[in-house]
Amino acid sequence: MTRSRAWVAGGLALAATLAAAAGSLALGGFDPWRALSALVTGSLGSPTAVLSITLVRAVPLMLTGLAVALAFRAGIWNIGAEGQLYAGAVAGVAVALSAPEGMSAWLIVPSTLLVGGVAGAAWAAVPAVLRLRAGVGEVITTILMNFVAIHLAAWMVHGPLQEARGVFPQTDRIPDVARLPVMVPGSRLHLGFGLAVLLALGLWVWQRFTASGFRVRAVGASPGAARVAGRIDEGRVLLRVFLASGAIAGLAGVVQVTGVTFALYEDFSPDWGYTAIAVALLAGLHPVGVLISGALFGALEGGAGAMQREAGVPAGWVQAVEALAILSILAVNRFMARRDR
Amino acid sequence: MSALLDGALILAFLEAGVRLGIPLALAALGETISERSGVLNIGLEGAIIAGALGAALGALDTGSPGLGVLLGGLAGAGVAMVFAVFVVGLNTDQIIAGTAVTLGGLGFTAAVYQARFGATGTALTLPTLDPLPLPGLSAIPVLGPVFFRQAPTAYLAYLLAPLLAWFLFRTTAGLRLRAVGEAPDAAAAAGIRVRAVRFWATVAGGALAGLAGAHLSLAYAGTFAEGMSAGRGFIAIAVVVLGRWSPVRVLAAALFFGAASALQFFLQNLGWDLGYQLFLAVPYILTLAALGGWVGRAKAPEALALPWPSRRSGA
Amino acid sequence: MNGDPDTPAKGSAPAAVELRELVRTFGPVRALDGAALVARPGEIHGLLGENGAGKTTLLSVLAGLLTPDAGEIRVAGRVVRIDTPREARRLGIGMVHQHFSLVPPLSVLENLMLAWPRSALAWPEDEVREAAEALAGETGLTVPLDARVSNLGVGERQRVEILKVLLQDPRILILDEPTAVLSPPEVEGLLALVRELARAGTSVLFVAHKLDEVLAVADRVTVLRRGRTVLEAARSEVDAPRLARAMVGAEAAASLTEEVGPRPRGRTVGDPVARLRGVSLGSEAGGWRLREVDLEVRPGEIVGVAGVEGNGQRWLARVLAGETATDAGTVLLPPNPSFIPQDRRDEGLVEDFDLVENMALRAHRERSFRKGPFIRWPTLREWTADRVEAFGVRSDGLDTRVRTLSGGNQQRVVLARELAGDPGFVVAENPTRGLDVAGADFVHRTLRALRDRAERPAGVVLLSTDLDEVLALADRVHVMVRGRLEAIEPGPDLRTRVGERMLGAR
Repeated sequence: MTRSRAWVAGGLALAATLAAAAGSLALGGFDPWRALSALVTGSLGSPTAVLSITLVRAVPLMLTGLAVALAFRAGIWNIGAEGQLYAGAVAGVAVALSAPEGMSAWLIVPSTLLVGGVAGAAWAAVPAVLRLRAGVGEVITTILMNFVAIHLAAWMVHGPLQEARGVFPQTDRIPDVARLPVMVPGSRLHLGFGLAVLLALGLWVWQRFTASGFRVRAVGASPGAARVAGRIDEGRVLLRVFLASGAIAGLAGVVQVTGVTFALYEDFSPDWGYTAIAVALLAGLHPVGVLISGALFGALEGGAGAMQREAGVPAGWVQAVEALAILSILAVNRFMARRDR
Repeated sequence: MSALLDGALILAFLEAGVRLGIPLALAALGETISERSGVLNIGLEGAIIAGALGAALGALDTGSPGLGVLLGGLAGAGVAMVFAVFVVGLNTDQIIAGTAVTLGGLGFTAAVYQARFGATGTALTLPTLDPLPLPGLSAIPVLGPVFFRQAPTAYLAYLLAPLLAWFLFRTTAGLRLRAVGEAPDAAAAAGIRVRAVRFWATVAGGALAGLAGAHLSLAYAGTFAEGMSAGRGFIAIAVVVLGRWSPVRVLAAALFFGAASALQFFLQNLGWDLGYQLFLAVPYILTLAALGGWVGRAKAPEALALPWPSRRSGA
Repeated sequence: MNGDPDTPAKGSAPAAVELRELVRTFGPVRALDGAALVARPGEIHGLLGENGAGKTTLLSVLAGLLTPDAGEIRVAGRVVRIDTPREARRLGIGMVHQHFSLVPPLSVLENLMLAWPRSALAWPEDEVREAAEALAGETGLTVPLDARVSNLGVGERQRVEILKVLLQDPRILILDEPTAVLSPPEVEGLLALVRELARAGTSVLFVAHKLDEVLAVADRVTVLRRGRTVLEAARSEVDAPRLARAMVGAEAAASLTEEVGPRPRGRTVGDPVARLRGVSLGSEAGGWRLREVDLEVRPGEIVGVAGVEGNGQRWLARVLAGETATDAGTVLLPPNPSFIPQDRRDEGLVEDFDLVENMALRAHRERSFRKGPFIRWPTLREWTADRVEAFGVRSDGLDTRVRTLSGGNQQRVVLARELAGDPGFVVAENPTRGLDVAGADFVHRTLRALRDRAERPAGVVLLSTDLDEVLALADRVHVMVRGRLEAIEPGPDLRTRVGERMLGAR
């Protein structure tokens, strides 16, 4: 499919989704106009909404979306962003809490982020090795690692990392010095957003303009040709991408801890790692596109509360529409691919 | 320490293990069928939650938990049918379609629930599926209270496991299904309708997942809550692997996972709530080990999760 | 047992199967161009032809996998249409595929049961066992019923395939290149089995390119060449040389003005650009892929490697391209040899990439296109434009995905890429496969130009299953037979001699 046809496909899918969205609202007895305008106002209607609700919610989706998009580009089905995120969060909060008195933020914050990334990469290493050495499909292994991470995190907040008071299953609040600075004063938008944007741009540049980015794209598009015509070492490329993907997801976790929640607790992630798959797909696996679809999802989920308050539409409807969007894209893609033949 | 050996407590723990394992067993048995035909249904979670809501609404509106269970199964099958249309009919990526179905299932059920009952916190009370002690069997020491004083859906699981095993390994239809999952090209050459087999295997898997959901809302919790499937769809996928895609083993693996879950209550009752979460991780680690070949060899059906007809451009 | 209760004597019955004037095209390629075949009940009929002659297509038509564009098919005298494999089975046509259709993780018995028509809930184990054992008694064909197919060797798997087909009681049994993977004693066993089956009244269509085997067992033979039947005779009327000539077209060759034989080339100067000595490569299953191959390629020559597919050429190509390591022997190659792989779409090109990106597959490592980690796309683009023009690639622009190009244009892209930088050594594997006449012609001219280059002539290895192509281009001819590379002396009757060697006859 040429690039222009890809836009057409996207447009068709979007139109189908909007139609289904409006239609389902009407069927449910809701006023589509009122609901959708509440959604838009709630998420984008004011600077506070945009900055402190939409974009803040978007950051973890953007980061995990980038992680997933990167992996999928190389042909790696990384369903483990959720677990890698938890790994990063756990490692990050541990470092943040153990920072010695008087250490400068300039040292603590980057170290925390670094450790979070490394933890995420380490978490991805297990399924990566299983795939590359034992030929085990990564779909199931990454899902399994998700559960291990979630339980590990739960243990941490019940045990070794539990708050000093020992009452709730959560960690102490991390010291101010370890927290991510706010980007726009007066809002909750933290440095993580800037990181996500930079990372997206960096990934885009890397993917499009560097040799290693090119090799990754080749492996994802045609492993056979990459190997024969491109003389590319598939195993090495896949391993690096898998680890990088894990690192970015780990970063998502530590960013969330140091930028929003300032502590770790059970059920920290509302399935960001899985929603990331939708985010990545809707962006066509394009890094900058992920910023947009991540923001879109952030808006949808941020505005869902307003939509519920003002138009009575249940919040779950938003997720249903997200799913519809993916299915429309899948269907449209298939139909257009058929016509190509 | 004697508390540890308190017979009643151990029995309670085992019974809880079985109770927690049943919904996993039902969903995993269903997933075994679809995976044996080559379809990896990550949308299982969506089928389970749809089954939970379908059963809840069904029981509420008809007053009969039995009808509720039936409706739950139908709801699960319906969700799986959507998935199957995309994955078998349109030959799209199983992972992406599965994610969409799970997302959609969770969102849609939450929306329907809220639309009907409002967003208040009060739980629904449903006509429940009470435990049904089986005459005679429930009197057996140890095994009786643990296995035979469960809800009827549990007995369904006990029966289905050997039944599905018989189906897969001792019938021609099961043989054909396995051939589809291992070598769809060869199966097609033998005249088997690969897509039809995959389609119906997936729908059947969804139906069982729906029954799992029905068990959750009508037998386990006695109510419906958003997201009550709590990742069981994904856990079921792990259970299938640990059970090596073999129904009776899958049932055992499901009970094992259930026992691991029940362990947390058991240990809590002992006042021992240190580190039990780690035990929860053990089944998954074990499954990983099985996949890696260190604890026996778990070999997936060869054509699992691969699109068919193959979309490689080749010859 | 074979349908008719009063089966007339062999030879006077209606033909078991009759094909007339079959035509089938795939795009520009006419795979069948008026092919015909007549096989009688109880007859062993040999179907001969090289790769690309149309045998596979003809068999696919009989097996219901393909429908012909034109022509007539008769089974037992009645005109039929074979639209699906099921239909073929119902007509009594049983085919043992060259590439087996067994399910490896299942047991032999289970594989047999797959083809056993029974209701869904049945488990006809005992029936199948009995039938298999009965057949074993009749024909000597024994198989280990309870073994997993994945644990069986190739010869045994083939026997399972044959048994599977026999259990359906076919009136026409088709064996597609059955001896290609068998050891000599296994071949003997197979031929004996075939004779048994024919005696029992089954028509056996024995498709092969091994002349001596066909001659040992066939009652009649049909030879296909370029989709057409060029010879149809009783066994007593032909001998190996005559068959070989018919298969490779030596009789037709006399009318062409092409040169057959070595060109007087005094120009192979300098040290070899590539050399293999005693190269051997085993396969995973414990068999061979390459056996003690010696080859030297000098600048200014095209070395041709002919051979029927499956004799190790693909592995030789990969070794020459520097892609595969060997188990024994020495390999001397220039760095990063230029390789034109046979599988254009899955190995030669990334179909979803555009022209520039495909060129980049090779070029992205070169200094001139790099600035540190970055690729200089504008420079690469310009260069691609030049190359594309030089090689006459017709496309809708540099940004179009290669998938949309015709086969000939795709191959031009591959050539443009691999031949950039004036390489001294080029490996070309079936480079004209799937191309039309114009496309093939371009490839041939390009390869000759490489060899005839004034400054630094290149050494080219051309591996091809198309004998005509090898003979037209090569200065020296080799044949791959069972992993061994044999040089063919230049001289008269080169075509026939190569053909015979390829086909295993001496």
